[in-house]
Amino acid sequence: MNKNWLLFKVYFTAGALTFSGGLAMLPMIQREVVDKYHLMAKDELYEYSTLSQTFPGVIALTNACFVGRKVNGVPGMFWAAFGAIFPAFTFMLLATILYQLIPQRGIILSIMSAIRASSAAFLFSAAYTLARYNLKNIASILLAVFCLLASVFSLASAPVLIVIAGVVGVIMGSQKHKEAKA
Amino acid sequence: MISLMLAFLKIGFLGFGGGYAMLSLIYAESQTFGLSLQQFADLNALDGMIPGPIAINSATYIGQLTHGFWGAVLATLMVCVPSFVIVPLYLHFEKRIKNNWILSAILDGIKPASAGLILAVAFTIMLGTVFNINSIGAWAKANFNWSSLVVIIGVLVLDLKYHVNPVILIALAGVFGAIVYYI
Repeated sequence: MNKNWLLFKVYFTAGALTFSGGLAMLPMIQREVVDKYHLMAKDELYEYSTLSQTFPGVIALTNACFVGRKVNGVPGMFWAAFGAIFPAFTFMLLATILYQLIPQRGIILSIMSAIRASSAAFLFSAAYTLARYNLKNIASILLAVFCLLASVFSLASAPVLIVIAGVVGVIMGSQKHKEAKA
Repeated sequence: MISLMLAFLKIGFLGFGGGYAMLSLIYAESQTFGLSLQQFADLNALDGMIPGPIAINSATYIGQLTHGFWGAVLATLMVCVPSFVIVPLYLHFEKRIKNNWILSAILDGIKPASAGLILAVAFTIMLGTVFNINSIGAWAKANFNWSSLVVIIGVLVLDLKYHVNPVILIALAGVFGAIVYYI
């Protein structure tokens, strides 16, 4: 079986069946790439998966690029990436076109309003999850509260706050790094 | 079209930590393209129903709404650029940058920030759905909508306490909306 086709198929299937993106598809990838076709060692797959979480961009796609590139060079990278993007893009495009066609009046509007409210609930839930895993000390809590207030009262835009947070992280990290070296 | 492409390139390169962490950036950019708060809330609902990474789904949606089919294609491609650039670069210099502390330090700063930023977006959408205003500054014009508050509390409880599948929760919210229409 052709490696490019295989990479495309594995990432296409994983992309079409996982809803949240990120590394939710990792078990599926492992089963195909490592256990079934032996294209890569398990350790290597997990190492690159951890790495794809630390880089900016779409995590599932970065993971696909790493695996594709390791298994079959640049062509492999593009086929795996294409597989990872294609289902999400196609389904979402169709859904958006449908959404644009639905007249938002009467009962449809009432249904849409309730669904919009549910979207606020999902974001609260995501914020809770992120906070639970990432607010481990006073500094991180202060940083989170600062970004929340700056954003709610429109004092700074999200991109600016992200850059500030990254710089703060590096400053705090450099102190830890020095201590660790000393 | 160019500004749409640049916006998603920026979202990609500043988007650390995956979907929800990137949403605050996506919300900020969507405001500059004149998306309403309702359209952004609908994007989240569609994200929950359609498979695939949130950033890809968002790029497709915002591109299609603002510039049609080619907008969807180009916005999606742009949000993918960082992966195509970073992976070959990293593999090329792998031996030299292995276990570099700076990357994880950047993330240590951005992760707590994302929690605060996504909470701000959640709060803004709540203002829009429960009080019909799009910022805290418009508080004087607030117009309370009880049914949205019921949905938010109900979905939160079912999600956090009982871990009900999001697709089912979105469907339940829709059914509730239909019932409210007849009350």
